[in-house]
Amino acid sequence: MKEKLEEISKQGLQKIDNIKSIEELQDLRKELMGKKSPLSEVLKTLGTLNPDMKKEVGMKATEIKNTFSLKLDEKEEELIAAKSVVDEPIDLTLPGIKPEEGVLHPITQMCYDLNDAFLSLGFEVYNEDDISSEKYAFDNLNFAPDHPARQSMDTFWIEGTEDKLGNERLCLRPHLTGGSVRYLLEHGAPARFVYPGRVYRNETTDARHERAFFQYEALIVDKDISFSSGVVMIQTIFEKVFGRKINVRMREGFFPFTEPGYEIDMECLVCTGKGCRVCNHNGWIEVMPGGVIHPNVLKSANLDPEVWTGFYINIGLDRLVMMRYGVDDVRLFHSADLRFLEQFK
Amino acid sequence: MRVSLNLVKKYVDLPANLTSAQIAYDLTLRTVEVESVENTSEKYHDIVVGKILNVNKHPNADLLRICIVDIGEAKPVQIVCGGSNLYEEEYVVVSKPGAEVVWHGEGEPVKIKETKMRGESSYGMICGAEEVYLSKLFPPKDNHEIVDLKGIECIPGQNIAEVLCMDDTVLEIDNKSLTNRPDLWGHYGIARELSAIYDVPLKELPKHKIDFSLPEYNVEIMDPEKCQRYVAIEIDSVYEKASPMWMKALLVNCGLRPINAIVDITNYVMIAVGQPLHAFDRTHVDGEKIVVRNAKKGEQLLLLDNNTIDLTEDDLVISDEHNAMALAGIRGGMKDSILSDTTGIILEIANFTAQTIRKSGKRFDEKTDASIRYEKNIDTERVDQGIALSLELFKEFFPESNIVSFCDQYPKKTKRAEISISQEFLNIRLGKVLAKDIVERVLKALGYEVEFKDNVYHVIVPVWRSTGDVSIKDDVMGDIARLLSFDSFSAKPLTITFSHAVHQDSILLERRLREYLAYRCGFNEIFTYPWIDEKYIKAIKTDLSKSIKLATPPAPELSFLRSSLIPGMLEAISKNLRYYENFKMFEMAQIFEKGEYHESSLDETLPIHKKYLTGCIVGKNAKDIFYQLKGAIESMASFCHMKDLTFIREEKPSWADVNVYLNIMCDEKIIGSIGLLSFAVMSETKIKRTNVALFEINFGYLKPFDSRTNEFKHLPQFPLVEKDLSLLIDNDISWEVITETIKGKVKEIQFIEEYRGNQIPDGKKSVMLRIKIGNDNGTMTSEEITKEMEQIVKILYKKCGAELREE
Repeated sequence: MKEKLEEISKQGLQKIDNIKSIEELQDLRKELMGKKSPLSEVLKTLGTLNPDMKKEVGMKATEIKNTFSLKLDEKEEELIAAKSVVDEPIDLTLPGIKPEEGVLHPITQMCYDLNDAFLSLGFEVYNEDDISSEKYAFDNLNFAPDHPARQSMDTFWIEGTEDKLGNERLCLRPHLTGGSVRYLLEHGAPARFVYPGRVYRNETTDARHERAFFQYEALIVDKDISFSSGVVMIQTIFEKVFGRKINVRMREGFFPFTEPGYEIDMECLVCTGKGCRVCNHNGWIEVMPGGVIHPNVLKSANLDPEVWTGFYINIGLDRLVMMRYGVDDVRLFHSADLRFLEQFK
Repeated sequence: MRVSLNLVKKYVDLPANLTSAQIAYDLTLRTVEVESVENTSEKYHDIVVGKILNVNKHPNADLLRICIVDIGEAKPVQIVCGGSNLYEEEYVVVSKPGAEVVWHGEGEPVKIKETKMRGESSYGMICGAEEVYLSKLFPPKDNHEIVDLKGIECIPGQNIAEVLCMDDTVLEIDNKSLTNRPDLWGHYGIARELSAIYDVPLKELPKHKIDFSLPEYNVEIMDPEKCQRYVAIEIDSVYEKASPMWMKALLVNCGLRPINAIVDITNYVMIAVGQPLHAFDRTHVDGEKIVVRNAKKGEQLLLLDNNTIDLTEDDLVISDEHNAMALAGIRGGMKDSILSDTTGIILEIANFTAQTIRKSGKRFDEKTDASIRYEKNIDTERVDQGIALSLELFKEFFPESNIVSFCDQYPKKTKRAEISISQEFLNIRLGKVLAKDIVERVLKALGYEVEFKDNVYHVIVPVWRSTGDVSIKDDVMGDIARLLSFDSFSAKPLTITFSHAVHQDSILLERRLREYLAYRCGFNEIFTYPWIDEKYIKAIKTDLSKSIKLATPPAPELSFLRSSLIPGMLEAISKNLRYYENFKMFEMAQIFEKGEYHESSLDETLPIHKKYLTGCIVGKNAKDIFYQLKGAIESMASFCHMKDLTFIREEKPSWADVNVYLNIMCDEKIIGSIGLLSFAVMSETKIKRTNVALFEINFGYLKPFDSRTNEFKHLPQFPLVEKDLSLLIDNDISWEVITETIKGKVKEIQFIEEYRGNQIPDGKKSVMLRIKIGNDNGTMTSEEITKEMEQIVKILYKKCGAELREE
């Protein structure tokens, strides 16, 4: 009898050892410990044994049962720990499934970054329409009557109006600045607003020149402010857009609608101002004109230049975006080429 | 404009140790943009004078010679040369090994090495003009000519830059930064700025001492509005000869070509003080009379190259008694040229108004060194500087010359502007309190006269800035600010006044729409030009009578401005189909059509502008892409917080498929459309082997909410029961009819699929839908559920003829 029990124990433990799956284990548990298991069979014959044997065999059988139970539990735990939810081979180096996402045009992205920065400073956003008149595009802005920019080689005039003058001569706006007078006429002063948009010039195009491009203009009109406040605004905006402090400098520049006018340079981001090919080895990149709003422009907006003053900055969006990503051909922005646009996700 | 520091230094003593880079930087910050600084002698390193001692034939080459040349070194050297004008005792330009030359005047400079040519050793090379940047000084007569230094004082071995007075530093100034400054178009003006920047004295220009008892030359100005002053000086005993080397070098360094001493003097004076001059051969002036007049009808000007130009009555000409000799201030004609037989000249030093020159220059598409200066509006007193400087040079170059007669017609003198600026104005606008002596120093250095009384600066603007450049106090403030450097004004913090919340619903909606389409629906944003290729406009049968056209379009086929965003989108689709099969794009932009619209004031009438939003999905399965696009529009309102969009089928857009289109409605108004692109348009635009679903929406009709408006709904207290129904139904019963039928009976309806196929009888379709039913008062019992479902099936049968499909 004892030998039989030894045999049951030995075989049982071996079977436990050989188990490969949880399903097998459940079957084996039945086989080893169920009502019809050899162990149960032995226990059923217990009554036929003498008391001494009965006790001994009973204890032995219980011990085997406990061992089986313990081993099976251990095995089960082991198998669960080793089990994967994927029960087939998987290549973890295969590419993942990309989220199906579109993207905003990089110009729009930059424009919204700037909007966020300006809105946090209490600016409003204004949109002027694309077609304007000579009056708003040039006359109001103190452009001399025979200023070269008014010629058809520079500005896209609308057919049928090209030989007229002032408010009857219409064009695709050559810059955003005309919108400043429109806004001021509507809202008065004080005012602080930005007006992003697309502008048009009749030019020969190449990697650096486009016929349609984007500007982002900001204007503050208030009493008793100094032109040097403009620097604070510019620095704040750059810091917001590029995420760190960017050095800027102002230098002499001339624009009919400003007095004084200045060019604003930012440190070259490629070489951080040390000098490289991109910045023509001088460490600075010309990014925007700016200046104090010319008294004649304020007069066009029905504002008294003795009372009001203010300053413009005009950011070349294309150029800024080109700096941000290292884009070297401005024509890509209007190409509608998804191979280009998809890179800005 | 090229500025020679040698010439600038004639007029101002710059501080010692000042580098040219520093000058460029200071000028850039304060006055004009210096684009580059060039040391003109640098490129002549290792290029020296050589004296040919011997010229021998080359044993292996007919066209080459072997020259023994003294280049100032211990021993003469042997150089192989193919020059056509080699002779013994000739002084030539030798590039020694290590020098850099431009091979045949083309390409990048190449370093010279000691070499062998056809077996004979050659120590460097004897150079032609183009190879060493000297073609302006020594115009070559043929390709093989080398530079002959005959008549030029030099010794073998001397550096060529030194011999040719090329030791200079040139600042290249961006002309665009000079447009408002007529005073800076001469070196004297730049010198004045530097004297102000560095606080060093500016030297005075010579004053002329014309003997007014001289006979008067006959000059008549017919149009004093166009010609404000005309000085004619008749000079004899001048003739065509070369200028001294220093003058030639200076002209070359400033980008001009030396011609002969007479013409060179006029050019030199122009670059020195900015006053253009002109010299006429006096024998060419018929009737010894100069008339400044408008051209006659049909009059022509004969040019030096025997061509003629047709003048108009608006063009101002310089004429003799009979004919036009020159287009005033722009260019001369055949009759004014200085020729080898010239013995006397009439020197013109005149003032023409900017507008006259600009108009004629534009008409003849002509810009000359003179006209670009006149176009900036030069003051009339500049003429005096021109007289003095030119007479000094004529006396120097032609000591035997005499002034024979003279005339100064001066109908209109430039008036100096007078401006008053209060100290308070300056302090506030500059953001800094400036001491009176600083303001005065700066202004006086720039030539202003300043008087300070009762806290007000009364200034008289220098005459050279009084032709429009400086006319108001802001201009004077600008001068002070720039000269002290904008950077020297510490930045003043801006204060913000909060008065009200900013409401910009439409601006925000625009952004939400863009972000929705890109980030939620997977569309890529594109930009296209507003001028559209006619091919695409015509493809969608646009009504061109309403379209706006450009007067001078970028290309003939691009003259129409868009009246819809669809044609531009079609072009973008056809471009991208080369690289992609499935893609989604959108664009938001303005479109234009004829009409009347006042954006800002009634006196300005603009065409109609509408902002549109358009998008497309491109893919093979027409139905799939249509429903995808429809889904994007259906969810647009809730994601973008605006009034609901609904659909109706009323007007087919010209681009849409005969069957598959819907109009988009908002507030009972049709505001756009969605549909598949028609076969017809696809074949016109060569969009092949694919399908396109498109939508367009007039952005202006969308109604943004002030804020989100959805309302919270309580979660169901008792569980809902979900049931799928598979219906067999007539083909013409639409989903809309089905949902309307059971809407009241169920909590939710969801479309699962529609099927037509083998198992479905003709004229029928299978529609599977999922519904949720529930009871607000308690959990439904199975009896209640069965009863409810029976009712639903019954009503579907009754109203729609729907039968339950056996699974």
